[in-house]
Amino acid sequence: MSAIVKKELRTYFNTVTGYGFLGFFVLITGYFFVSQNIVAANANYNETLAGSMIMFLILVPVLTMRLFAEEARQKTDQLLYAAPVKVTDIVIGKFIAAAVLLLIGIAITLVFPYLLSRSGQLAWGMTFVGMFGYFMMGICLISVGIFISVLTDNQIVAAAATFAAVFLLLMMDNISSSAPISVGSSVVFLVIVVAAIALTVYTSTKNITVAGIFAIIGYVIMGVLYFINPNIYDGVIVKVLSWFSVLSRFENFYMGILSVSDVVYYITFTCAFLYFTVNVIEKRRWS
Amino acid sequence: MIEVKNLTKKFGPHVAVDNISFTVNDGEIVGFLGPNGAGKTTTMNMMTGFLSATEGTIRINGYDILDEPIKAKKQLGYLPDVPPVYGDMTVEEYLNFICDLKGVKKASRKAMLNDIVMTVQIKEVYKRLVKNLSKGYRQRVGLAQALVGDPEVLILDEPTVGLDPKQIIEMRALIRKLGEKHTVILSSHILSEVSAVCDRVMMINRGRIVATDTTEGLSNKAGNSLQMVTVKGDGYAACEKLDVWADIESAEIASDNGDGTYDIKVKGRDEADIRELIFTTLAHENIPILSLKPVTLDLEEAFLKVINGELEDNETLSVTMVEGTDEKEAE
Repeated sequence: MSAIVKKELRTYFNTVTGYGFLGFFVLITGYFFVSQNIVAANANYNETLAGSMIMFLILVPVLTMRLFAEEARQKTDQLLYAAPVKVTDIVIGKFIAAAVLLLIGIAITLVFPYLLSRSGQLAWGMTFVGMFGYFMMGICLISVGIFISVLTDNQIVAAAATFAAVFLLLMMDNISSSAPISVGSSVVFLVIVVAAIALTVYTSTKNITVAGIFAIIGYVIMGVLYFINPNIYDGVIVKVLSWFSVLSRFENFYMGILSVSDVVYYITFTCAFLYFTVNVIEKRRWS
Repeated sequence: MIEVKNLTKKFGPHVAVDNISFTVNDGEIVGFLGPNGAGKTTTMNMMTGFLSATEGTIRINGYDILDEPIKAKKQLGYLPDVPPVYGDMTVEEYLNFICDLKGVKKASRKAMLNDIVMTVQIKEVYKRLVKNLSKGYRQRVGLAQALVGDPEVLILDEPTVGLDPKQIIEMRALIRKLGEKHTVILSSHILSEVSAVCDRVMMINRGRIVATDTTEGLSNKAGNSLQMVTVKGDGYAACEKLDVWADIESAEIASDNGDGTYDIKVKGRDEADIRELIFTTLAHENIPILSLKPVTLDLEEAFLKVINGELEDNETLSVTMVEGTDEKEAE
C-alpha cells in the first residue's frame, strides 16, 4: 500500500496537480479568511471553513480525476493488478495519497487561525474541531471522486462527473427540503429503488431468478410494513436524501461539537465508496 | 512451472479462450503463436491474474492464481502488449516504484536494479523521463519492470511489436538469455520469431490450441529436405538424374523461367539433407546450379493451413503441424 501512496504523492508533485491544488486551496481559503474574519472583524475561523467549502467543487475533481482513469488510459492498470498487491490496498493507497494532499493544504492554512490568535481571542478547540470536520467531509467527497474515476478511462469525463456529484451532495439539503413527503410519493420512490436494486443484481449475476426473488422480497417487506404502520412511509424521500447530505453533518463540527455519530457517518460514507470502487475493479476482472 | 487446466474465458456470449490446457516446465521458453484476436493476450492476462477465468485453473509454481493470488503473482513478471510505464516518472523512479510495489527489500534493491539495468541495457536513459523515451527503450523499461523481484516465470506479450529490426534482434537475444534462468512464455504472431526464440510452440486460433510442437520439430520439418534449385540448361534431364537417388523422393520442374533456366523442386525422403547430393549430381551432369535454397515458406503455409483448416471444419482441430506440412508437400 505504501508503494501506491508514495507513487501517487510523487505524481502529484511531479506534475502541476499538487502545486495547483495547494495554491488554489490556500488562495480560496485566504480569500474567505479576509472576507469572513478580517473584514468582518470576526474571530470565528469556522466561518472561513464553512464559506470556503464551495471550492471542493473544483478541488475534489482535481485530486481524484486522474487516479484510476489515467491508469486505465495508459494501460498501467495491468501492472498494478498483476503485481502481488491486493486491489483493496491499491484503492486505499490512492485514497490516502489524495487525503494526505488535502491534509497538507489544511496544515498550511493553519497560519490563518494563528494570525487570528495573535490579534484576538481564538477558540482553538472549536477551530480544530471545525478543521477536523472539514477534513472528514473532504475525504468523503474524495472517496466519491475515486469511485467515479474508476468508472472511466477519460480524466475529463471523470472530472465533470465528479463535479456534478459533489455539486449534488453539497446541494442535498436544498433538494431534500423540496422533495415530496406524502406516503404515495414515498411508495413510488421505494418501488423504483427496489426495482433498481433488482436490476443491479440482474446485471451483475445475469440470473433472472435471483433478481426476481430480490424484487419480490423487497415488495413483500414494503407491503407488510404498509399494513402494520403506513405512517412509516412519511417523508421517506426526504430521509433518504438527507442521509446523503454531507454538508448538514458538518453543522456540529462548525459549532465546535465533536459528535461521534457524525464522525462515524463520514467514515461509513467514505468506506462505502471505497468498497464500491474495489468491487467495480473486481467485477471488471470477472466480466 | 505453469499448469493450465481447462481454461475458458467468455466475454458475454463471445468465447475468447475455449477450454485450453497446457503445462510449461521450468526453464522452458514457450511461444504462443496465433493471429491477432486468437486469445493470446486474454490467456496471458488470466495467467497474471489481471483477468479472471470463467472456468479452469491456473497454477504458477503450485500456487493457484485465484486462491493464492499474492503468492502466485510473486512468481511472475509480466510485460503486457503496451509497456505499462508512467510517462511522468524517470526510469529510476519508475523501477524504484516497481520495487516498492513488489516488496523488494531495500538491502538487495540496488544490486538487483544494477543487474537489470545492465541486462536490458537502459543505463544511458536511467535518469530520463519515460515519456521522452523511444518505443524501443520503453519496451526495455517494461521488460526491466517484469524482471524486478527476480520472478521465476516471465510472461511477455508480443515483446517485439513496434521495434525496429535491430531492436527486434536485440530483444530476441535478450529473451534467449533470460530463458537461461527463467521460465518464459511469449506471444507473437510472427512465426519466424517464435521459432527463433522458443523451445516449444503452441499455435492458438479462435481461443483453442490447434497445434503444439518443439521448435526443433518445426525446423526439421521445414529443414533441408525440401529445396528449390534453379539450374541452367536442361531442367528435365536434371530432374531425371536427381530422381534416381534413394534419398530423393521427387524432383519436378516448378517453373520454366523461359530464359533457359528452370526452377526445380526437390524433395528428400524421410527428411534427409539432400543439398550435397543435388550438388554432386548436377555437377557430374554439367548442369550449373544458379541457386539452391530451402523452401522455408512452408512453415508459414502450414500455419495458415492449420488455421484455415479449423475455419472450414471444426472437426479437424487435432490437425497437427506434421499433417499441415505433409499436406503441403503432397501437392
